Amino acid sequence: MSGRLVYHLNVSVLGRTFLRVQRWQAEQRGASGWKSQHLAPPLKISPRVKELVARHWLEARYANLHRKVAWVTSGAPVELLKALDYCVIYPENHAAICGTARVAVDMASEAENAGYSRDICSYARTDLGAMLSGKTPVGKLPKPDLLLACTNICQTVLFWYRVLARHFNAPLVLIDTPFVYYEKASEHAVEFVKRQLEEAVPVMERTAGRSLDERKLQEVGRLSRMASQLWMEIMQRNHHRPAPITAFDQFTQMAPVVELRGDAATVDLYAAMLKEVDERITRGIGAVKNERKRLLWDNLPIWYRLRYLAEFLGEHGVALVASTYTNAWGELTALIDPERPFESMARTYTYPILNRGTGHKLATMKRMIDEYHLDGAILHSDRSCKPYSIGQIDQRDRLIRDCGVPALLLEADHNDSRCYSEEPVANRLAAFVEMLG
Amino acid sequence: MLPAIPRRSEIIRAQQDRGGLVAAVLPIHYSRALLRAFDVLPVEVWGPPNVDASYGAAHLQPYVCSLVRNALSFLRTGGLDVVDVIVVPHACDSLQGLGSILIDFVRPSQPVIPLYLPRGMRESDIQFLAEEFRSVYRQLEDITHRSPSNADLMASIEREEAADALLAQLHQRRPQLALTQTEFYRLVRAREYLPAETCSELARAVLDGRPTDSPLQRAFNCQPDDSSSGNAAPTRNPPLKGEGIPILLSGIVPEPMSLFESIAEMGGVIVADDLACCGRRLYPPGKSKDAFLRMAEGLLGGPPDPMRGSPIQERLDHLLRLTRASGARGVVFYDVKFCEPELYDLPDLRRGLQEAGIPSATIEVDLNDPLSHQALTRIEAFLEMIA
Repeated sequence: MSGRLVYHLNVSVLGRTFLRVQRWQAEQRGASGWKSQHLAPPLKISPRVKELVARHWLEARYANLHRKVAWVTSGAPVELLKALDYCVIYPENHAAICGTARVAVDMASEAENAGYSRDICSYARTDLGAMLSGKTPVGKLPKPDLLLACTNICQTVLFWYRVLARHFNAPLVLIDTPFVYYEKASEHAVEFVKRQLEEAVPVMERTAGRSLDERKLQEVGRLSRMASQLWMEIMQRNHHRPAPITAFDQFTQMAPVVELRGDAATVDLYAAMLKEVDERITRGIGAVKNERKRLLWDNLPIWYRLRYLAEFLGEHGVALVASTYTNAWGELTALIDPERPFESMARTYTYPILNRGTGHKLATMKRMIDEYHLDGAILHSDRSCKPYSIGQIDQRDRLIRDCGVPALLLEADHNDSRCYSEEPVANRLAAFVEMLG
Repeated sequence: MLPAIPRRSEIIRAQQDRGGLVAAVLPIHYSRALLRAFDVLPVEVWGPPNVDASYGAAHLQPYVCSLVRNALSFLRTGGLDVVDVIVVPHACDSLQGLGSILIDFVRPSQPVIPLYLPRGMRESDIQFLAEEFRSVYRQLEDITHRSPSNADLMASIEREEAADALLAQLHQRRPQLALTQTEFYRLVRAREYLPAETCSELARAVLDGRPTDSPLQRAFNCQPDDSSSGNAAPTRNPPLKGEGIPILLSGIVPEPMSLFESIAEMGGVIVADDLACCGRRLYPPGKSKDAFLRMAEGLLGGPPDPMRGSPIQERLDHLLRLTRASGARGVVFYDVKFCEPELYDLPDLRRGLQEAGIPSATIEVDLNDPLSHQALTRIEAFLEMIA
């Protein structure tokens, strides 16, 4: 049987049908989700999000049979790859799925047994473990034909992708985005990024076996921009009190804007989600039923304790209304200009919050506290993410001093539950909630 | 025998007495020539070890490496009060964070100059780094009110390239030098603060096997520098030549420096290194006539380094070449805890070395800890294994 036929049988016929039925059943059952009665049910659109993401991983599973596959970092200029029809895989998202499914430690152990230190990023360990053992909750990860690492989220991704490049013997395209210490990136830094993007195209084309169609690139850019815009609008609806969704909802609904950016289906999905969120506002539905206090979350989520944290805070009438992490996937929308793809990509991918100074993040948090009418902040000091975490001690102090809001530094790790202690976290959260009044 | 090396404090004082400025420079890669062209003496800050880390801990989480935490503690306790400017090259997420919080929150009295190091050796990387140097040039113009010409810059570059070439010779000829391991590393690490011309003079003296008596040394009544090694005193360990079990030392920084005496006492001898502060900074000369491009070419042309984005295979090939050329029987990776750039490469490097019949061992250290018995036992067991 040809690869293409196997793909269509397993994906287009069987897989998609199965996922559609699964979604229909979930919709019929009604939203199940939180065990706590203090939280509103998850959005009705949640099964559709789940279906879209599951379909992506299903397609990825069989992608090696008929498409070129690229593994990319979460902040990479994916538009180029989409326009060249690559199947794009995000190892970070895969690791987050493993974290949520609570299999990350098992997979990280595989990497540790192979010599990788527990002091490196737990996303990397999870994925390196998957690479070495073949274990994964998504069925099977396709082998990459190309790797694309962009340093705008951390330098770690370059170290990580160099390991992948060696293991898979795949070409590694690097987009090096100089860190922005001050308010603006230097022009030579932006020019450097633009030049790298242009130089990356021939490598991508060679592996893809096709040429980049500029019109298609513009179309992908337009869809990227629309998805980011809609995502931002969804988050900004939380200016409303009570907040129609929480940051915990955002954490679980953000996968498409990360890994399916540039797809029409993502735009449709977020348009429908925005509509449902607006309906909630009209009907006065808050994500936390008795919203008393509103908080900001800084840094990646603690994937394996999302439910616990959501329910704990919800029971105390505390809504996690905004997050710098989910905000990062919408705040650069204005920089995306599909008509000038390379210039705009150079700027967009230079300016993510993680590629900017600690003072910029503080200013972002202050602005969010103001715009979302927040009563405090939880800063997740994430052992696995140094670029996000370094600076938090000063940021917390200044939030307290300058904004007059309480701020808590919570020690944990986004994917490695061995670095998380429930009892101290519970005690600290309880004391913090009490302090909020 | 090791000629007397001026102390760090003496060099700083002499520079300032002459009306020159001093820059504290954090690891790893930067252009000495650029700073010297403005009469700014770079004095590197690798930690230093054994400082009260609690001052750094007021800003940095415990999972940040001790090199970065100590540097901040050193600054906060007045250790850098004597310098006029602080340069923070970008090497990793932790140094990036340190640079950022210095600029945004700690705000030392001196200007802070960040420098982004590109992660490749492409034409665009060289061009970008040259532009970064131009940007640093403009900042130094503002600070010093000087504007060195291209000829001034080229003269400074040539001085540094000459010193780098002599440093490379020291590394290559280390088995023939009449120096103990401690003396050898005291000499090559003096490059972290000595002006190029003094370094060159010392290096020539050692290579020629003669004592030096430079005006600079006479002026200082020089004693061996011990500022980076805590209480290390001159030792009479076995000379490098032909004695001991030959090993290659990789990692970031060999602290505490008593490590060398311990290795010698255990019967080992370091015949080559891939240390970030030493062997990874043996820069070749640049080629361009444009000073900024030339500095960029030299810096990016250095030995493979994860902090410059070198592929793992290049690092492995480099280590294999070094071990073969030096006759090392094994490799010790001596790393600072939490150093991600090093940690990612280790499994592949160790596997590659093993496949080539070269055993390796890893030791993790914190710059504030003395050399632990556990670490020494591991090194001893490793030396016994490869003997």
